[in-house]
Amino acid sequence: MSRVTNIAVAGVGGQGVILASDIIAQAAAGCAHDVKKNEVHGMAQRGGAVVSEIRFGSLVHSPMVPDGEVDVLLALELLEGLRHVHRLRADGLVVANELRVAPAVRPPGAQAYPRDVLARLRRTGGAVVTVPAAKLARRAGNARAANTVLLGVLSRHLDLPLEAWQQALRACLRPDLVEVNLRAFELGRRRRTAPKK
Amino acid sequence: MTVTIAEGAERVLLSGDEAIARGAFESGVTVATAYPGTPSTEILEALAACPGVRAQWAPNEKVALEVALGASLAGARAMASMKHVGLNVASDPLMTASYTGVRGGLVVVSADDPGMFSSQNEQDNRHYARLAKIPMLEPSDGQEAKDYAVAAFDLSERFDTPVLLRITTRIAHSKSLVELSERADHPPEGFVRDPAKTVMVPAHARRRHELVETRALALRDYAETCSFNRIEKGDRRVGVVVSGVAYQYVKEVRPRASILKLGLTHPLSPELIRRFARSVDRLYVVEELDPYLEEQIRAMGVKLSHPPSTPRTGELSPDAVARFLGVRRRRVRGPVQGLPPRPPALCPGCGHRALLTAVKRLKAFVSGDIGCYTLGVQPPLQTMDTCVCMGASIGVAHGVEKATGRSNNMVAVIGDSTFIHSGITPLIDVVYNQSPTTIIILDNETVAMTGHQEHPGTGRTARGEETHPLSLEEICRAAGVRHVSVVDPYDLKTTQDAIRSGLERDEPTVVIARRRCVILDRERPRRPLRVDAERCIGCGLCLGVGCPAISDVTPAGAKKKRVEIAAELCAGCSLCAQVCPADAITEVADSE
Ligand SMILES: Cc1ncc(C[n+]2csc(CCOP(=O)(O)OP(=O)(O)O)c2C)c(N)n1
Repeated sequence: MSRVTNIAVAGVGGQGVILASDIIAQAAAGCAHDVKKNEVHGMAQRGGAVVSEIRFGSLVHSPMVPDGEVDVLLALELLEGLRHVHRLRADGLVVANELRVAPAVRPPGAQAYPRDVLARLRRTGGAVVTVPAAKLARRAGNARAANTVLLGVLSRHLDLPLEAWQQALRACLRPDLVEVNLRAFELGRRRRTAPKK
Repeated sequence: MTVTIAEGAERVLLSGDEAIARGAFESGVTVATAYPGTPSTEILEALAACPGVRAQWAPNEKVALEVALGASLAGARAMASMKHVGLNVASDPLMTASYTGVRGGLVVVSADDPGMFSSQNEQDNRHYARLAKIPMLEPSDGQEAKDYAVAAFDLSERFDTPVLLRITTRIAHSKSLVELSERADHPPEGFVRDPAKTVMVPAHARRRHELVETRALALRDYAETCSFNRIEKGDRRVGVVVSGVAYQYVKEVRPRASILKLGLTHPLSPELIRRFARSVDRLYVVEELDPYLEEQIRAMGVKLSHPPSTPRTGELSPDAVARFLGVRRRRVRGPVQGLPPRPPALCPGCGHRALLTAVKRLKAFVSGDIGCYTLGVQPPLQTMDTCVCMGASIGVAHGVEKATGRSNNMVAVIGDSTFIHSGITPLIDVVYNQSPTTIIILDNETVAMTGHQEHPGTGRTARGEETHPLSLEEICRAAGVRHVSVVDPYDLKTTQDAIRSGLERDEPTVVIARRRCVILDRERPRRPLRVDAERCIGCGLCLGVGCPAISDVTPAGAKKKRVEIAAELCAGCSLCAQVCPADAITEVADSE
């Protein structure tokens, strides 16, 4: 039995965590994998933290990834990446959007947004690939396709064929957004990324 | 969110909610009703997109179940879906629907929320199946969610009983691959007169209660052999009895254990359980929340290999199950410490923030309710003093006033959907028993918290058809409230004046604060605001409204506070400008 691949997607409510994880799950399903995905929404909207997990392989049981078994953490925002980085395997990879979003509210006594968030992510996360996703998405024609750029980068590190990703993008996105997202995906996929320690 | 599941590929990724909707659709369900509630909402949303199904939002769960029962008595297959606390509201019809039984299959879905991702409690609704003496099915993934939904309708008709389909958040909101089948038509035969079955006066109900008990015995026999319960033979040293999503966790962390997987969790199957217990050396019961299985299994005289004191709060996880079963796991790291939390917040431009700011300036206590506005409990607003269950705000404020007279400066704050759900009867009580309560209805013209569903006040149905819009002001007047006013909460002074008059008046007052939810109001032209640094006196009052668009950017060591408004977030509601004592917040000029 092949090992199950585990991916976690973390970000801020409204950033598109759920859609990004739907696309990954759809791409895996398109390759005859067993797939499970879980997420917590509800009160997670309104700018709260959102996380979703996708698991695929020949047979997947739990929809929740056991601690310490995440293979790739896709961080749509750096602080949210740092919040989940401990769940990575020792040899896991972080694909991180170079984006800092301060929490919408700061309860009294709460820490400020950590200035050294990226350094801490590197320190705890092992291999980290950072991506200026919004910049690349604008180059593709729409800044809102930033998540798709990140999926393009992610796709280089997963054993799923290009066609499966393209089909998943077509299946999950509004028809008029497909072209720009396919371009954004390509830009991410072609980007030379050497994970830095 | 609308999900089309009525057509498409053979094996598709569906959430548990969508899978249940698909199962109901394939079973020929023709009437589906629900009141929104996380994590159950998507069931009805998915059914609303299915042809041939009358899928509708009810004003509350009790009504939903009664409508579904009526449809069933007319021979239709019917489903009522709700979150766990919704079944409290619907428990009255449920208890007696168990006596009347059904004609067309009647399935009640309860979506429980262990861990309370978005709920006020984590009650374990498996107890309802025992209380109502009706069968209960618990699926462990999407495919089973669909299959069990289909089977639930058959079971309901075969045993003449409502069936409880119980899921949890991790089933409702997890996606997995589900095989689709065709829809089987099930046209209703129409209502048949049969008072002994459908008129529950004592003479009839006594007879029906006996039938309920006979049915319970028949169901127990059925449980012994039905295909929902199965033994998976494995390592005979460890046996686990498990149901629901916890089954997946056991398979994950103890793949070789012997397992008795229970799909039908009420009634239990004593013979099967005893047989399984005899076949293994050590026996564990893995379950989330209450010791529902455990206590019944111990009562059968079966010995378990773990103490009865396992934690009963929060949700299970593969790791928690591993610890419980004593499975050695690799050491894992703990979360990074000291990170700022990221709680959800009211959106920039939310009318609730403006209203709560007005209440705060009056220094009133707030008898609160459930909805987006409950976020007002967080700093810096901190304008919520009670929150119990939907509709409780009005009754609680009334009670406080009865106990203390007017010495307590308290208002009741309730959302439009919550008011329609269960705020009308306590309002009638306020008028009837002559309490001078001040009630504020936050009318944002939607059920925002659960994802913007329609409700009777919006003038649209679950399927988007136009319908009569309920007038909140007319309802209040009809209840006998003589002082009903409608204000725009963006107008802080008028809103504050209206509430103040209510607090001073010796009669009930309703203030309807009407402002469409900003998320639905995206098309409205916005004029973002800015802080004029020259005029700003650094008092920080604008920060006190807790708007995500306003941030404190005071440099370290500076004496005067500096604030900034993020133009891309600002909705231009001008609340901050209205609280500013120095007129330092103004519209961004067109040239900027
Ligand atoms: C009995 C019950 N049913 C459903 C829910 C889930 N729920 C919580 S608040 C809410 C509705 C909120 O709508 P509204 O009062 O209009 O406030 P809004 O979120 O729009 O501000 C719902 C459906 C619940 N907590 N209890």
